[in-house]
Formats: sequence, structure tokens, C-alpha cells
Amino acid sequence: MGRSADGLWLRTARHGAARAAVLCLASLAGSVAALLFPLALGRTLDALLSGAPAAETRAWSLRCAGLAGAQTLLSAAASLLAGTTGARATAWLRRGLLRHLLALGPDAAARFPGGDLITRATGNAVHAGALPAALGEALAAPAAPLGATVALALLDWRLAAAFLAGLPALAWLLRSFTRSVTGNVAAYQELQAGLAARLVEALGGARTIAAAGTSRRERDRVLAPLPALAAQGRRMWRINARAAGQAAVLSPGLQLAVLAAGGLLLAEGSLSVGEWVATTRYAALAAGIGTAFGRLNLLLRARAAAARLGEVLAEPPPAWGAARLPQAGPGRLEFRQVTARRGGREVLRGLDLVVPGGATVALVGRSGAGKSLLAALAGRLAEPDAGLVLLDGVPLHALERAEVRRAVGYAFARPALLGGTLEGAIGYGPRPLPPGRVRAAARAAGADAFVGRLPEGYATRCAEAPLSGGERQRLGLARAFAHGGRLLVLDDATSSLDSATERRITRALLGEAGARTRLIVAHRQALAAGADLVAWLDGGRVRALAPHRTLWADAAYRALWAADAAPQDGASDEASAGAPGASSGASSGGAPAASSGGAPAASSGAAAHAASSGAAAHAASSGAAAHAASSGAAAHAAAHDLANGTAHETANGTAEGAADGTAGGARRAGKRGLR
Amino acid sequence: MSRAARGTRRRAAPRRGTARAWLCFLGDRPRTLLALGCWSLLQGGQTFLLGSCLARALDEGFLAGRTGAGLGWLGLAAAGVAAGALGTAGVQRAVGALAEPLRDALVREVVRRALDGAVREGRADGTAAVSRLTHQVEIARDSFAGLVLVAQGFLVTLAGALGGLAWLAPVLLPLVAAPLLLGLGLLLWSLGPLARHQRALLAADESLAGAWGEVAAGLRDIAACGAEERAAAEVGRHVERERRAAVALARWGVIRTLAPAVGGRGPLLALLFLGPWLLAHGVSPGELVGALTLVTQALLPALQSLVNGLGGAGARLTVVLTRLLDSPAPPRHRPPGPPPRGRAAPGPAAGGREAAPARRAEPPGGGAAPATGARAGARGRGALELRGVGFGYGGRAAPVLRGLDLVVPEGGHLAVVGPSGAGKSTLAALVAGLLRPDAGEVLLGGVPATGQPGAPPAARRVVIPQEAYVFSGSVAANLGYLCGPGTPGAALLAAAEAVGAAELVARLGGLAGRVEPAALSAGERQLLALARAYLSPAPLALLDEATCHLDPAAEARAERAFAARPGGTLLVVAHRPGSARRAARVLMLDGGRALHGRHADLLARSAGYRELMGLPPVPPAPPVEAPRPGSDPAAGAGYAYGVDAVAGAGLADDGGQVVAHRSLGEPQGPGDLGHGGAVGGE
Repeated sequence: MGRSADGLWLRTARHGAARAAVLCLASLAGSVAALLFPLALGRTLDALLSGAPAAETRAWSLRCAGLAGAQTLLSAAASLLAGTTGARATAWLRRGLLRHLLALGPDAAARFPGGDLITRATGNAVHAGALPAALGEALAAPAAPLGATVALALLDWRLAAAFLAGLPALAWLLRSFTRSVTGNVAAYQELQAGLAARLVEALGGARTIAAAGTSRRERDRVLAPLPALAAQGRRMWRINARAAGQAAVLSPGLQLAVLAAGGLLLAEGSLSVGEWVATTRYAALAAGIGTAFGRLNLLLRARAAAARLGEVLAEPPPAWGAARLPQAGPGRLEFRQVTARRGGREVLRGLDLVVPGGATVALVGRSGAGKSLLAALAGRLAEPDAGLVLLDGVPLHALERAEVRRAVGYAFARPALLGGTLEGAIGYGPRPLPPGRVRAAARAAGADAFVGRLPEGYATRCAEAPLSGGERQRLGLARAFAHGGRLLVLDDATSSLDSATERRITRALLGEAGARTRLIVAHRQALAAGADLVAWLDGGRVRALAPHRTLWADAAYRALWAADAAPQDGASDEASAGAPGASSGASSGGAPAASSGGAPAASSGAAAHAASSGAAAHAASSGAAAHAASSGAAAHAAAHDLANGTAHETANGTAEGAADGTAGGARRAGKRGLR
Repeated sequence: MSRAARGTRRRAAPRRGTARAWLCFLGDRPRTLLALGCWSLLQGGQTFLLGSCLARALDEGFLAGRTGAGLGWLGLAAAGVAAGALGTAGVQRAVGALAEPLRDALVREVVRRALDGAVREGRADGTAAVSRLTHQVEIARDSFAGLVLVAQGFLVTLAGALGGLAWLAPVLLPLVAAPLLLGLGLLLWSLGPLARHQRALLAADESLAGAWGEVAAGLRDIAACGAEERAAAEVGRHVERERRAAVALARWGVIRTLAPAVGGRGPLLALLFLGPWLLAHGVSPGELVGALTLVTQALLPALQSLVNGLGGAGARLTVVLTRLLDSPAPPRHRPPGPPPRGRAAPGPAAGGREAAPARRAEPPGGGAAPATGARAGARGRGALELRGVGFGYGGRAAPVLRGLDLVVPEGGHLAVVGPSGAGKSTLAALVAGLLRPDAGEVLLGGVPATGQPGAPPAARRVVIPQEAYVFSGSVAANLGYLCGPGTPGAALLAAAEAVGAAELVARLGGLAGRVEPAALSAGERQLLALARAYLSPAPLALLDEATCHLDPAAEARAERAFAARPGGTLLVVAHRPGSARRAARVLMLDGGRALHGRHADLLARSAGYRELMGLPPVPPAPPVEAPRPGSDPAAGAGYAYGVDAVAGAGLADDGGQVVAHRSLGEPQGPGDLGHGGAVGGE
């Protein structure tokens, strides 16, 4: 990593090498002009004072003017070059970083927190981009002070000696200045942080404060540390003042010492008046050695910044293939011996799982069991450390990136809304989607109503929309619905919705036309019960793959849901999860069934399951598809109501049919449900 | 054309205001300014002495063969340097004495704006506020101090140098002043464009950081949407924009070298070219050398730092101050309308307060003045009354509530339920007086909920929002927040006991214990907030999902405590079905529909309600009949309280639909939306 960071700093330098070289030359030439100028000035003065012919004085004056002009032009050129070189290199670095970051994908990029990446892209990139210019200037910077010292020595060695004698004092000053300023900054920042913390606390209680009308009191409470902060600030100024006073003595004092030495030489006759004046200027230029060291600092900072960018660039991006998916594949997803380590822990250990094409599989397990990781692996948002993930028989890593992105859609618990407006956020993808498709997706995800209540509707900017967690989730779901694709992955994407809304959306989702495969990370029973199959993750493997009601017999499985707090009195969430599909006239049918056994009735609004002894039941002809689970232990029939995408009532018989435990029963139920 | 003119006028106005504010700020500190002036004199004296002493050291010392006198004059210059250093230190302190009060004022202003904005909006961006409070305020302070120092330094050097020149030989003055003025003119001319480009660069930087931040936070979502190319192109555009702005600024930065060249090197050349003439007209060699030294060693560096300071710090200061002070959080989510008290519908306010509120005697569509004349019966005055309340979030937004009528008598207990986004929190905010209805009125004890002079809303209701507010401080300070500092400790403890927070208070170390909000769980914070609200003298308690982080048992205990609060009326925005079961009456909001009744009745009648309660929905049944005013089941069931006539006049006609069948239209005058009798009222 260190090597590659060095690599970046070299590459950055090389990127701006030509300009940096020109800059260096311009700076050097400027320094030469600056060094020649006092000499010319001195000669002019001497010519003036000695009453030399007017032509000679004029010639020297013209030389002075030429040198002054050259200095001006050269420093203007250097400043322009430094600015443009920095801007170019910064933009170059940023583009490279951006491309690399997007190529890395979320998995690798997760190593760098968001705020940290912003710092790298903004501040660090500017500092690193300054590298070529800083290098060019740093190379040229010592020329002026060193040249001035040499010039002093050339005029008379005693002048240089007088200057060098004062140099240690200058060095001491530079050191003490930096040290004294950093002294009480920490105390100041601590007080400031305390004030900020109080403000954040009060902002968090904005509604309480608004209701109680206590904002004035809160203001006083937040501002309580302000006097202490101000006192600390004044102390900083006092320290600053002392340091500035010292600085104000030293540099002019040094020059005066050189001048005094020059005066003695002048009186002695070994120095002309013009040379004495030049001495003043050379002393000032030589005292600029501190600034030259300052440039070195700039260079070090640029290098450190380049190293920070290099850290990101050192992460290898995943490689993609060129294969395409088979046309009209069912969306069969297969994990083969997948192992994935995260944070030094083996989260998935040789996991095998087959999600049949068109089936809905719920992923359940304790927190930390790797549900989200498995969901991320399904669309190559994460890389397995070993094993294969195949979609319709093709390993994901052999596919083109765009092909995978097209085929797999995602909805997350906390979606990031990109694309500017809410409309853009729902239609976010390789290219914007037509408004009609956006609206339809929003309706399916239950987002249409609240978007309509916003002042700007779909044109509301995401950053300005006051969205609750549940509303955000519905927008994320709408985006996933609009996206299409043969596999849809919901990673806890309905966790912030109230149960009624969640049910409406899952009904829309499961009843959606054009069946696609769905992988759903579920924390609530409703989703698990509504899925065709439940994949129970435990110990890095799939512990069981079967319908919810089959698994319910297992006490360990039931324990998973213990935290799924049931409302205390009366009907439970289980009832709501297990038996939403009560048919007409049987309004109370579902609830007693659920509460009596403690187990959910195995029907959801859109799917009926049946556990069979082994054979795969198939009822596709009747519009209900049944899939063989890869384990072979359980088969189930899923009845999708394709006729009615939203409100769906399954026949009462569904529950009975499913309870029969036979594929036939399920088929019957499915048929009845379709009537 | 005219728009452009308006734009400039608008921009000019705050600038004048800013200038006045600066003058006021400085005018309030005459002693600091005086100190600054005095220390500046010392500094200027140094410059003055430098030129003069060098001239004398040459003329009367080294050139005259009197080395001692020459050294003496240099010694005097050194003494001037020492005095000047004292002056420099003093100036720093004086500038500090200006910058620190500025920082204090900015901090106060930022805190005030952040709190006011948060209180107005009901939410706040803590990160932005912290950045303003720490980062931006510091930038403003440093830039301001830098500007003052640079400007002061230049003026002092200028005065010292010009004074020195005048003392050496007045004829030198115009020679130096003319090019200097030219250079300064160039600088002044360039300041505008320079600042504009600096601002453009800062703006480009910020939008780049914003775009980058979005990408950094959304990498997973970008990948999931397959939008890598698009994101790269979008952020790439920002990168390019920033590069262009940086290059443009670098071009203008050339001025930074040109202005000092004209203003600093120009006088030098003038002195040289006119040297023979000057020497012939009584200027001594020493005086010429002194003048040259003043120009090269004093004026030129001062001019250079002035150019650098004004170009950079000046632009930064304006940008940051604009951000801090000129852009208050836009008041979103607040219905546009006249100021408080101007909004309430004219008629019923007075009469309504007198009349004993009760059920509607007849559908107000019948022609009687809605809400006013419709009251009959006498059951004590309603703790809470909504009359024809409508509310939308402005613009093209669909209304959230419409024509809602509701009465909760004193001691009543109402639960509000509905799916997320149905308007429960909006209703709570309206009842709390935090929002003003677009139509109709909300009365607490007969007074508009938004308050009247002498009757602040806080005295009549206490609101406990979902995000409980506790602050770093003692337990007693947190609990006594709403009832004044004189409340006896026993009362505080009793309240904690009542809502089930006694154990928590004991664990925190009793009333004297310290509360560290970050160390408490969300549920523990809610317990403290509940205990605090329990102590409030306000008769109406409004629990807006205030118990969502408590377990069901704790929630039940807290709700029962509030229901039993002496003389207390309770409105609960329910988070769990249990809250509705415990309430005497339930109001269900759902996508523009409103239903009310007892829990059991609603269960039997409404599929939506059953679903909300986590029960299988009742099949599409015949339209739910809203309770006729005359047949309020609550009364029949012997309840001491009840909810009357939800959804008002429209109720009987369209099955409890709160949204009247007419388009919202643009927000017009106050009360133009179906006030009271939402349908058929006119």
C-alpha cells in the first residue's frame, strides 16, 4: 500500500511534469532577476551620486526597469502556472479516484467511510494536486535566499558573517512560533465541541422545545460555555501577540545588523553607497530562507495527501467478464460452496442454496447470521472469498457488469436516494425512466400518496423532502419495482413500514405480474410466511429451506421470532402475519386459527404452501407455480394471483388446503383462490 | 429586464444593511479602536524611523566620516523596530478584542437561528449546525482578523512611509504617491471580479463535495441500480466545473502580481529615473536612499500582503457570513398565511367559547352557521375542539386533512390511529398549535391552539413527541423542565413513579443524578420525557408516539397514568394497537378518510381498522355508517366522555370521508376551504 501511495505521488508529479518544469524555470528566472535587481539598483545609485554622465545613469536605470519588469512578468507567469497546474492535477486525481471508487463497488469501498471519502476527494485531492507546482516551486525556492547570502559574501565576507550570526535566532523564532500557537488550541476546541454538543442535543428535541415554548431558555443553556470559550480565545490572541512581536523584532533587526556592518565598511571606503543599499535588499532576501522551508512543508503535505488517495486506489476492483445471460431465463439463483469473511470473521461457510426461478425465498436468521451479506452476494454487490454465485447457470463474475445490474434489482432498509428529485430517485438507473413507469412503480410501492402530498410532488428535491424512514423505504421499493430484472432482492426493505402498509406492498410485490425471482431478507414473520420458502441461515450455512409453517414445528426456529414482539392484549402480530387472507364472510376466521395453535395459518395474501412428502408439485397450468426446493425435502406450491395485482383475497380454503399437507390440497387451494 | 433590476436592488439592500451592521459593531467598541490606533502609531513610527534614520545615518554618519553617528542613527532605527514590535503585539491583541466579540456574536446568532429554525420546522440538521458553529464561524473569525490586520498593516505602513518621505523631502511624495495610487486603483478594480471568482470556486467546491458525498453514501445503491457510468458522468461534471473555476481564479490571480508591481516598483523606477533631477534640486544622497529603502522594504511588502489578504480572506469572509446570516432555513411545511391570530375564522371564535360544546344537533349543511349555532347540549366545555379543520403542505400538495370536526371533552381519552402518512402527526401538530390550519380552527379550552396574548399554548397542552428530549444536566432539571424550578422533589419523584420511571431515576442517582443523553436508551429517554410531561400543569396531554420505544407493558402503564392525571385530557397518537384498545374513543385516519368510534365498534365496522389492529380485514362491507350525531354510542354506553361528530357534515353523506368532493384549489384567503360544513355548507 505504501508502495502504491508512493506510486501515486510519482504519477501525479509526472502528470504535471512539463508544467512544473516550466514553473520551476520561471521561478528560477524570477529569482535571478530578483538577485540582479539590487545590484543594478546599487549601480544606478552610484552612477547618480558620482555624477556620472547622464547616458550611463539612464542605461542603469533602464536595466533596473527591465529587471523589475522581468520580475513582475515572471512571477505573474509562475502564479498562473501554479494555479492552472494545480487545478489540472486536482481534476485528474479526482476523476481517477471517482472511476476507481465506482469500479470498486460498495463492498470494497465500505472500508472507507463516506465522510472520509469526501475529505479525500475535496481537501486531500487539492493538496495532492498542488504537488507538481509545489515541487517546481520548492526546487526554485532556495535560489533567492541562498543567492542573496552568496551576494552578501561577494560584496564583503563580513556582511555574510553578520547575517549568518543572526540566523540561529531566526530559526529559534520559527520553532517557538509554531509551538506556542498549537498550545491552547486543544482547550479551545474542547469548549467549542461542548457548545456544539449542547446545540445538537437541543436540536434533537426541537419538537419538545417548540411545544413548550422554551427556545429562549434553550438558547441560554446552549450558550453557557461561550464566556469560557471567549476567555480561551483571548488567551490565544495574547500568545499570538507575543509571537508576532518577536517576529517583528527579528527580521528587521537582522537586516539592521547587516546594515550596521555595511555602514562600517562604507565609512572604511570598501563599500559604495549603492552597494550598501543593495546590502539592505540582499539581507531581506536572505531572511526569506524561512519561507523557502515553508515550501518544503507544502511539499510534505502534498505527499501525505497523495498517500491518502493512494490508499483508495490500492484496493483492487473486481474483474468482470463478457458473458451474457440466457434470454428469458427464469432467474434461478444458486450459491455453491460460498464462503465470505467480513471483519475477520467467517460469516458464510461453504453455503449452498438454490433459489428456484420465479420463487419467493425469505432469508431469516439471527442478526449477524449473514443475511444481508448473502443478499449482497446475489447481485455481486459483494464478493465471496470462495465459491460461486450463479444466475441462470452463469457465474456472476463471468458476466458483464451491466448485464448483472440489469438482471438484479435491489431494495434496502435505508436506501440512498440519488437522482436529484423524487421522480429521478425512483427512476434512478443507467438512464432515467419515463414518468409513467415511475408513477406506476410508486403506486405499487405505496409511495404515490405521500409524494402527492408534498408541495412539489414528484419534482421535490430528495434533499429537501421531509421523509420518514418508512417513506424512504417505499421510494426505495418503488425504485426496485421500476428497475425490473429477473431477480429482485429486498434487504429488510419494509422494516420501517407499519404492518398495514407493509401488507399492501407485499401483496403488490408478490402478486406482481411477470413473476420474477425474489430473495427477501425478513425480520418479520409476515414476510417469511408470505414467501414460498424460507432459507434459515445459521452458523454460516443454510440450516433449513422449507415453508414457514413447516419450520414452525422447530422450537429453535420459533425462538428466532421471539423478539418479534407480539402486541400484548388480544390479537397478535402472528395472526396478522399468518392469516391476512381471510375471505369474505369469514372475517374472524383467521384470527382464532392463529391464536389457538400459536402457529400461523399457512396462507398469505398471494401464496399458498403445501409441504409434501417429496415430490415436486406443479400447478403452473392453473397459474399457480410450484417449485422444487433444492433440498428436495419440501415442495410447495405458490399460487400467484396474476389477475389481480393489488387487493387479493385468497379463498378460505387455502388455509385448509395447505393444512392438508398435500400438493393436491395446495393446488386445489390455488385454483380456488383464483376463482 | 425588470427582473434583473429587482435582483440588483434585492442584492444591494442587504449589502447596505451589512455595512451598517459592521459600523455598529465597530462603533460599539470605541476603546478597542482607540487601542488599535495607538498601537498602530507605534508601528507606523517604526516605518517612519527606518527611512529617516537610514538617510541620516548616511548623510550625517557614514558618508560624513562619522561612523559613530551613523551607528547611532541605525541604533535609533533599531529602537524604532523594538517599539514597532511592541506595537505589533498590541495590534494583535486589539484585533483579538475585535475578533472575539465577532465570534461571540456569530455563535449567538447561529445558535439562535438553528434553534428557531428547528422549532419552526420541527426538525433540524444537526451536522450542518455543527459545521456552522465550529468550522464556518472560525473561518469568519480568522478571515475577519486577517482582513483587519492586513488593512491596518497597509494603512500604517503607508502613513509611516508617506510621512517619512514628506519629512525627508516633500518633493519625493508625489513621485511615490502617483504610481502607488495607480497600483491601488488596479487592485480596487480587480477586487470585484477576484471576489466573484473566489466565490464561484467556493461554490463549485461545495457542490462538488455535495455530489461526491451523495456518491460516497450511495455506492451500494449506485451499483444496485447499475448507474456507475451515470454517477461518474454526473460527478465528473462537477469536477470539471471546479477545475474551470480554479483556472479562472488563477488567471485573475495574475492581478495579485501586477498591482504590487505597479504600486511598489513604479515609485522605485520613478525615483531612479528622476534621480539626477532630484539630486540637483536639493535632495541629499541619504534622502534618496532613505526613500528607496522605504519603498522596497516597507511599501512593496505591505502592498503584497494587502493584495493577498483582500483577494482571499475578503471573499471567504463574505461567503461565510452570507451563509451564516443571510440564508435562514426556508420555512418549509408551514402553510402560507397571515400571522398568528389573523387566521382564525371570524365568526365562531367568541360565541364558540361561550357555548357549551357538545354534539352537533344537526348536520350543519342545513344552513345554520357551521360549528357555532350547531351546539346544543351541555356537557362541560370541550378540552379540545376541531371545527372544519383542513390542512395541506402547500403548493401542489394534496391536503392531508380536510373538513375535520372533533370534540374531546375534559377528561377524555382519544387515540388516533392510521397507517403511516395518514396525517396523525399533522393532526397532533395542529392540536399542539405548532401548525396553523388552512381552514377551520383548532380550539383548546375555547382558545385557538396557536395561542392568544396572555394565553401561551404551553399552558394549555403538553406535547410529548416521539423523539424524547433530555439534556445533559441533573435529573431534577430534566424532570422539572416544564413546571418551574420551585417544584418539590417529592412531586418530581411521584411523577416518575406514576409513569414508571422511578427505577430509572433511582439508577441515575436520584434527583441529583446526572443525565447523559447519549448514555440513555431511546426508551429511557422517553420515560424521562413522560415523567416531565406528567408534571406539566397543562390540562391536555398529547402523546405523539411518545411511547414507541417502551415495551408494551411500560407503554400501558404510562398511558394509564396520563389518562388518570387529575383533570387531564389525553390524546394519544397510537403506535401499537394496545393504545387504541385502552382509549375511550378512537379516531382513525386513512388516506383522507376519518372514522371514529369505540374500539369495539370500529373493529366490527371497518376492514381498514381491523387491518391496522393486526387482524384480518373485514371484507368490503357496506359503507361504514358514521355515527349520527344523535346516536353517539359513547353516550349510550355510559361513558363520561366521548368524541363527537368526527368528519362533520360530510360524514353522513359520504361515508366518513373527510376529504370533501371538490378540488382543493389554490390556497386562497383564510377560511375559504369548507370551514365546518365541508360539503354543502354553502
